[in-house]
Amino acid sequence: MTDLAEPHLPVPVAAGFTGAAPPASGGAAGAPGEESFLTPIDYWLAEQQSLTAVERFAQHHATATTADHETRYRDLLPLSAPEPGEQYAFEVDLDSCTGCKACVAACHSLNGLDEDEAFRSVGTLLGGPRADPVIQTVTTACHHCLDPACMTGCPTLAYEKDPETGIVRHLDDQCIGCQYCTLTCPYEVPSYNTRLGIVRKCDMCAGRLAEGEAPACVQSCPTGSIAIRVVSVDEVMAETSRAGAALVPHAPHSAITRPTTRYTTKRSLTDDVTAADHRSVEPAHAHTPLVVTLILTQLAVGMFGLGLLATGSAPIAAVAFFTGVLALGASVLHLGRPQIAWKAVLGLRRSWVSREIVAFGTFAGATAAYALARWIELPGVVVGSLALVALATGVAGVVASVMIYAVTKKRWWAAPRTAVTFGLTTLVTGLGGTAAVLSLAGRLSRPLVVALAAAAAAKLIWDALPLRRARLDGPSPHAPLAATRALLVGPLRSITARRFAFGGLAVLFVLVMVAAGPSTPPAIALVTTALLLAGELFERRLFFLAVSSPRMPGELR
Amino acid sequence: MKLRSVDGPLTRELLREPARFGLGQVPASATPDATTRMICGYCSTGCSLDVHLQDGEAVGLTPTADHPVNLGMACPKGWEALTPLAAPDRLTQPLLRNEHGKLVPVDWPTALDAFISQMRDVQQRHGAASTAFLSTGQIPTEEMALLGALTKFGMGMIHGDGNTRQCMATSVVAYKEAFGFDAPPYTYADFELSDTVVFYGSNPAIAHPIMWERVKRNQRGASVVVVDPRRTETAMAADLHLAIRPKSDLVLLYGLARQLLARDWVDWDFVRAHTNDLGGFTEHVEPYSIDRVCDETGLDPADFIALVDLHAPGRRVSSWWTMGVNQSHQGVRTAQAIINVALLTGNIGKPGTGANSITGQCNAMGSRLFSNTVSMFGGRDFRDAGQRAEVAEKLGIDVNRIPDQLSWSYDRIIEGIHRGEIKGLWIIATNTAHSWINQSDVRELLGKLELLVVQDLYGTTETAQRADLVLPAAGWGEKDGTFINSERRIGVIKRVARAPGQALTDFAIFKLIADAWGCGHLFEEWSSPEATFTLLARLSEGQPCDFSGIESYRMIDGAGGIQWPYPVEMREAEHQEGSFGSAKPPTDRRRRSKNERRLFEDGEFFHPDGRARFVFSDPEPPKERPSAGFPLVLLTGRGSSAEWHTNTRTGKSAVLGKLHPACTRVELHPDDAAARGISTNDAVTVRTRRGQIEARALVTPTVQEGQIFVPMHDASTNRLTFPSFDPHSRQPSYKHAAAEVTRVERS
Repeated sequence: MTDLAEPHLPVPVAAGFTGAAPPASGGAAGAPGEESFLTPIDYWLAEQQSLTAVERFAQHHATATTADHETRYRDLLPLSAPEPGEQYAFEVDLDSCTGCKACVAACHSLNGLDEDEAFRSVGTLLGGPRADPVIQTVTTACHHCLDPACMTGCPTLAYEKDPETGIVRHLDDQCIGCQYCTLTCPYEVPSYNTRLGIVRKCDMCAGRLAEGEAPACVQSCPTGSIAIRVVSVDEVMAETSRAGAALVPHAPHSAITRPTTRYTTKRSLTDDVTAADHRSVEPAHAHTPLVVTLILTQLAVGMFGLGLLATGSAPIAAVAFFTGVLALGASVLHLGRPQIAWKAVLGLRRSWVSREIVAFGTFAGATAAYALARWIELPGVVVGSLALVALATGVAGVVASVMIYAVTKKRWWAAPRTAVTFGLTTLVTGLGGTAAVLSLAGRLSRPLVVALAAAAAAKLIWDALPLRRARLDGPSPHAPLAATRALLVGPLRSITARRFAFGGLAVLFVLVMVAAGPSTPPAIALVTTALLLAGELFERRLFFLAVSSPRMPGELR
Repeated sequence: MKLRSVDGPLTRELLREPARFGLGQVPASATPDATTRMICGYCSTGCSLDVHLQDGEAVGLTPTADHPVNLGMACPKGWEALTPLAAPDRLTQPLLRNEHGKLVPVDWPTALDAFISQMRDVQQRHGAASTAFLSTGQIPTEEMALLGALTKFGMGMIHGDGNTRQCMATSVVAYKEAFGFDAPPYTYADFELSDTVVFYGSNPAIAHPIMWERVKRNQRGASVVVVDPRRTETAMAADLHLAIRPKSDLVLLYGLARQLLARDWVDWDFVRAHTNDLGGFTEHVEPYSIDRVCDETGLDPADFIALVDLHAPGRRVSSWWTMGVNQSHQGVRTAQAIINVALLTGNIGKPGTGANSITGQCNAMGSRLFSNTVSMFGGRDFRDAGQRAEVAEKLGIDVNRIPDQLSWSYDRIIEGIHRGEIKGLWIIATNTAHSWINQSDVRELLGKLELLVVQDLYGTTETAQRADLVLPAAGWGEKDGTFINSERRIGVIKRVARAPGQALTDFAIFKLIADAWGCGHLFEEWSSPEATFTLLARLSEGQPCDFSGIESYRMIDGAGGIQWPYPVEMREAEHQEGSFGSAKPPTDRRRRSKNERRLFEDGEFFHPDGRARFVFSDPEPPKERPSAGFPLVLLTGRGSSAEWHTNTRTGKSAVLGKLHPACTRVELHPDDAAARGISTNDAVTVRTRRGQIEARALVTPTVQEGQIFVPMHDASTNRLTFPSFDPHSRQPSYKHAAAEVTRVERS
């Protein structure tokens, strides 16, 4: 019906479309020109690709030197820089924040962040009295804490707290992408950027503040709800030390890191408000390489320790060494930038991650040296010293592992629980590994197998304890272990089932070994150990996935 | 090898540099070499955005600091306005359904050929009136005007309506009947100049955050009242929240008028000089006693009296309404009841006053005046021979090309498909299969069409997926044109990005179709959007919306937008003032111009007698009321400031996605939840007589007992809604249906 494809409606258009030539319309044939000819389709396609806004419209403020928005945010910035004993802090007026969330979009946009990245996030609190219900948006970014857990935990010293402004800055080029800070920060501020292999976070737009310009969130808030204020360190210490101090209801306890942000409201936001996501039970990050690292390091330390008890422990030590190396290798897999993994030892003075790495590194070296010393039959004092070093560093490494998680102040990872869990794993896997090696050598002993049976059963019972309903924290949905339990029996139930299936099967096999005694075929011992290890790996997977702790309010997820 | 790297390539990823142009620091990779300002393409607020350009192409944006609308602010949608243009599912070629029923990419000649031959085929077999179009408030005025002219004057269509039927039809009819023309009287400065600001069925904190910004800038210590069944963010920030029963607002307003009359808080001078029918209205509201009002609205008498008190003489009262009023089975009368209160108290035409409808879409106002759908160009009537002749003359076309009958409204076109009267439908920049009320029905009906053509940025919308032919359109940011915002301000949009592949502006597509149809000669003068604007200015002459004084896009751009009316005389008067340095402002309404103007300052309305009318009728109960099987009232509405309508565009931004729940949610009261054993986050089923959806429960006292709320942005929400319509405006009543919620037992 149409023959528009035919170039019978030529329009003279100079090479390089200018937008000036109108298209022919109707059937009028244009006069052949000296330039090229376009069909209407081609004309409009070319027109579509021409950008002429700059030529056609005057530019505004081409010569402006100050930011146009300055008058809008002048009152939201402090008049002077902090004095000693003071620092900058965010102040959020909850009463004037009505939930437009422009702060998040502007943070993303004005800071050139990646597609789904923003250093500010929002959540909603709901509830209050029936007669006067509350819906309150809560905007949150880095709280530039007095005692930043991100900084304390960082193994590479990739954080610094500016001595003058108090701004907690992340040194992106120093980061190896271990993501430990994503676990230590109770406010989930540092977030991992997979494209770059590092975490990034809010720096209060320090570069803008230095020029008297407001941070992106401050300058974009239509109601001026976010301000930068100078706060007194002593006052923040006092405020965050009050019993139950939290930024907003149900937020993490402020005593953990001493956040400086102040949320102000004339209303009473009490505990009868809840976050929209307070019942969201979403599994946490899996951290699979860390699962492998933890189990293998504990296996290595356990085997080495038990090897010392058993006679002829050189092969056991060798196995321990290779396991240790494998564990360290797995931990490197976890890094976003493994090429600079060596930086992880820099934080030795304050980071348990650095300490863990140094301890296990030394342990691996010492076990290798010990095995070698035994093999080439060095003097007993040398062998003994090496054994002592290996044992001490191995135990220190496991202790450091415990502390890595304990210092995050998450209930599921509390020091006693984690110490028992990791200790039992060390024992169970150590006994299992030793039993496997000894059975291959035909030197399996009944006490070892009995001990293994007892340890394996104990570990299984220990792991089952959190599944009990409501014993640990009462019925409140805010109780962190209630959320953990909900995860274990809810979204994670298939992993939970596997943990106990493998663990249970392993115990059955151990009982077979107990019955068979020293004459247990090596195959049975190997399968038993494999089952034990599998069970422990699933247990450790749950250790990461089921962690839950108080957080800033989010949205329903 | 450095122990501690404080700088390096990763640190420089976030490097910012001073950007000039008054922008402050911007990411170093996106430092502009020029900027240009344009109006945002989402809602009707009409915020101005400074688009940052590198070689003429947009690399970022910031809200314009000195624009009279947004004063340097934007909501998240505005900040993310450029993101949807780069979405991977942008259409780059036309799609044509092949013999296997699959949509396959074709070139433009093939697509145009298919359009013409199939549309002509339908017309030949069923008559020209069997083809219809659905226009939109999302494209510039010039494009929708060309569409309206092409379809009705060129292609012989009779029936075409816009998606504005879903948002603004009620206000249009209310204003027309009361004022004599569809004329929102206010300017945004009125938010700042009021003593009492009343929002009826309006949640500007979420739906129009930048208008809320203006409320917050009120310097007179205004009392803010929110009338809304839900405790919304706006209600939270108000001084008085009247949580009335859904759809009881008409009773509330009649009761308010009665109290004002009883207290003699009437501006008699104004009423006598400028209105008709007060007597009838006085009689009409007589039965609406305090007891009746409180009984039917569920309000505490003290709260109702507080509302009355806030209308005391001497107070500047501005009343604003949005979809809570418009999307109602009696929306027109409710809007008019708001207008009546303003007329009664003389709260119109003065600073800080007005009966003010807040528009929805960025160009709903343009659509109301120039889409040439149900009303003819410039707010004219197709049935009026004189007005047809006027339009024909101004456009230089044969008057016989102009249909002399009214177009069917959106709901009637859908009904027409059902009855077999509509066989071919062309949908432009709207997502009917998601947004139309009682969705399951409409999806089935779209399947009955012999030809469905969809023109959109994306081939992935629920509607495009059902099309026989999909035409790839350029979006906001890829085209020139003008929008008209809520306060009648005309603003410019510009091309600052290249559309992907073969996508074309809607303007270009309409031009190509005109040529291919053989009626291109009718539109020779419509050679570009700006040339078309000149035509539209000519068409506006003599109408209340006269903006014939606007000479060019550049003039609008330089002025920060120009409100209608702006007739030639006003421009000339301004020029004169400029040349003679006159300090005394002209007093004639048609000659007075500031950057923020309101209507009716002289009390002259647009009816032939110059008087406004009190329009009223008895309230009626909603068509579907709660019953044994469906004991809850389902309310729908905007879910967050980060979502726009069917999420066709906002759904493309990962950052916007972080600002609202990823799941479908239903909000319900703690008592209703407890009775059903439901806790927050539980998987639930929401059922109405039309259908059911799966959702997650959000238990909250911000909804009243017996009510539930589901945001409208989710594709499934309109499976639930009940298709009733305001009898005067034919606008669907999205906000009232009987429903039930049950917990999904985990298997």
